[in-house]
Amino acid sequence: MHVLRTVVLLTLLFMAVGCRPATEGPERPTVALVMKSLANEFFVTMADGARAHQADNAATYELIVNGIKDESDLSQQVALVEQMMARGVDAIVLAPADSRALVPIVKRAQDAGITVINIDNKLDAATLADVGASVPFVGPDNRAGARAVGEVVAAELAQGDEVAIIGGIPTAFNAQQRQAGFEDAMQAAGIDVVSVQSGSWEQAKGNQVAAALLSEHPNLKALLCSNDNMALGAAAAVQQAGKTGEVLIAGFDNISAIQRLLADGQVIATADQHGDQLAVYGIEAALQIITGAAAPADQQTPVDVVLAD
Amino acid sequence: MRLLVLLRPYAALLAVLGGLVVLFGALSNHFLSPLTLRTLAGQIPPLVVVSVGMTFVLIIAGIDLSVGAVVGLSSAVMGVLMVQAGWSLPLSLAGALLAGAACGAINGGISVRWRIPSFIVTLGMLEMARGGAYLVTNSQTQYVGAGVQVLSAPVAGLPFAFWMALAVVAVAQVVLTRTVFGRHMLATGGNREAARLAGVTPGRVEFAVFVIAGLLSALGGVFQMGYLGSADPNAGIGMELAAIAAVVIGGTSLMGGQGSVIATFLGVLIIAVLQLGLAQLGVSEPMKRVVTGGVIVIAVIADVYRRKGD
Repeated sequence: MHVLRTVVLLTLLFMAVGCRPATEGPERPTVALVMKSLANEFFVTMADGARAHQADNAATYELIVNGIKDESDLSQQVALVEQMMARGVDAIVLAPADSRALVPIVKRAQDAGITVINIDNKLDAATLADVGASVPFVGPDNRAGARAVGEVVAAELAQGDEVAIIGGIPTAFNAQQRQAGFEDAMQAAGIDVVSVQSGSWEQAKGNQVAAALLSEHPNLKALLCSNDNMALGAAAAVQQAGKTGEVLIAGFDNISAIQRLLADGQVIATADQHGDQLAVYGIEAALQIITGAAAPADQQTPVDVVLAD
Repeated sequence: MRLLVLLRPYAALLAVLGGLVVLFGALSNHFLSPLTLRTLAGQIPPLVVVSVGMTFVLIIAGIDLSVGAVVGLSSAVMGVLMVQAGWSLPLSLAGALLAGAACGAINGGISVRWRIPSFIVTLGMLEMARGGAYLVTNSQTQYVGAGVQVLSAPVAGLPFAFWMALAVVAVAQVVLTRTVFGRHMLATGGNREAARLAGVTPGRVEFAVFVIAGLLSALGGVFQMGYLGSADPNAGIGMELAAIAAVVIGGTSLMGGQGSVIATFLGVLIIAVLQLGLAQLGVSEPMKRVVTGGVIVIAVIADVYRRKGD
């Protein structure tokens, strides 16, 4: 049995080496970054950060950046991982568009000897256990970040005040985590969450939901939004309802467009996950595993609360 | 009596709309309030003007799948011109309208010149315009703020953009029913060959309609920006489906040759009231989609019965 396994592994190893295109100069590992939507500012920042890091460390590794068209295009992301496997990359740093659907292909990549690092959106633990895989997750704790933002809002409110949460796409793990984080903070402060609705991560949808909430709950004291685009939509709704200053708004992500609203106090707080560094953390973890400098392990990356000036 | 006669063709739509308002009024605590009216008036202008363009396109037996992407592109262009290039509001607005008209001209020009179904051409434009929106903004939301929100400043209690959208509806209805161009549209959509034999140049009519649809989509992008105060490159995703739904609820045929802009406006109102009402009730996202789809189908059935009665 052992002999057989050794033979199979050796064959795979030779195949992997044989498939690799001949390169000039010293052998550098190739890292493939497979992202979610490159249409989303957050992932664009992430990819730019990774490219800058590679430019500074060009001698250490090669980088291939890939992304899908929109965040729900699962089959395309699976195809991308397959392409990267066919190219014979050494490591794949993956921001999965779905925490379950990508698990089988991740398992196949690992079986083919590729180091896989999970960033941004955590793969589902139960599904991973089901296929017998284990993938190190390098990323922020969205729940803790949202809780910290929620605490800033809670500090301005009194026990029993009414607030509402505008969440992301309900099936996304980070949307669930952020909502849970907001709820943790509100519960701890004895504040009443009167409604939780999805704004689908979008500005116009966030605005529509915020406007409805403001009509339906005239005593609303704050809108906790799971990303900054929805916070922008909510800010417009508060303004149009003539309630500027009466209803606090919090966001998440710290995008550039939110800065003016933070400056004039329309938005009280947001969270910065250092998006530009997220992929870099993942790449560094992958390189350490490849070179044997570190064993595969989960790593938590920082989330900072950014306050209104 | 005269008013009743005028409203007769819209009875089914008005009944659905009235039913929704009564239902939400009964189920939620604060639906029947001035704030709800102001919110609706603020939110609907983009979909209203986009749907007016879509009505024209369906009347000539075409379809325009690119309207949502053009909304995104034109607001992106306007946002970048205002924020990064420092252009004034009128100039940036002109730039946005130009971008929309260009998209429409490409749609119309290609589908007329090579007789390619507009479904395919506008599907291509959907991708190109959305890609263009990401390119010009570098996928970053552009925040403008008060400089553009004057477009939704209240006039006589309701946002300026709302009155503009109403004006667009009125003008479009007059063009459709009282002008030569309107008759040519109806003739082209009804039977292209017969229209040609009767002396209409169908290609020219079709080209003009696609340019109008592009322009109105751009105007929708401008209104959306005026309402939200910033340009989101994702603006208008899926809006083509909402617009087609509104037009079809209004009884305009997908086969071309007939339609009504006023009925389209009522279709938009039905969709908007539904979305706002469901959000006020706090209905979950999946349930909202199930109900919205159901109401679209019911509204169309109601319209079929209304026409059988005629």
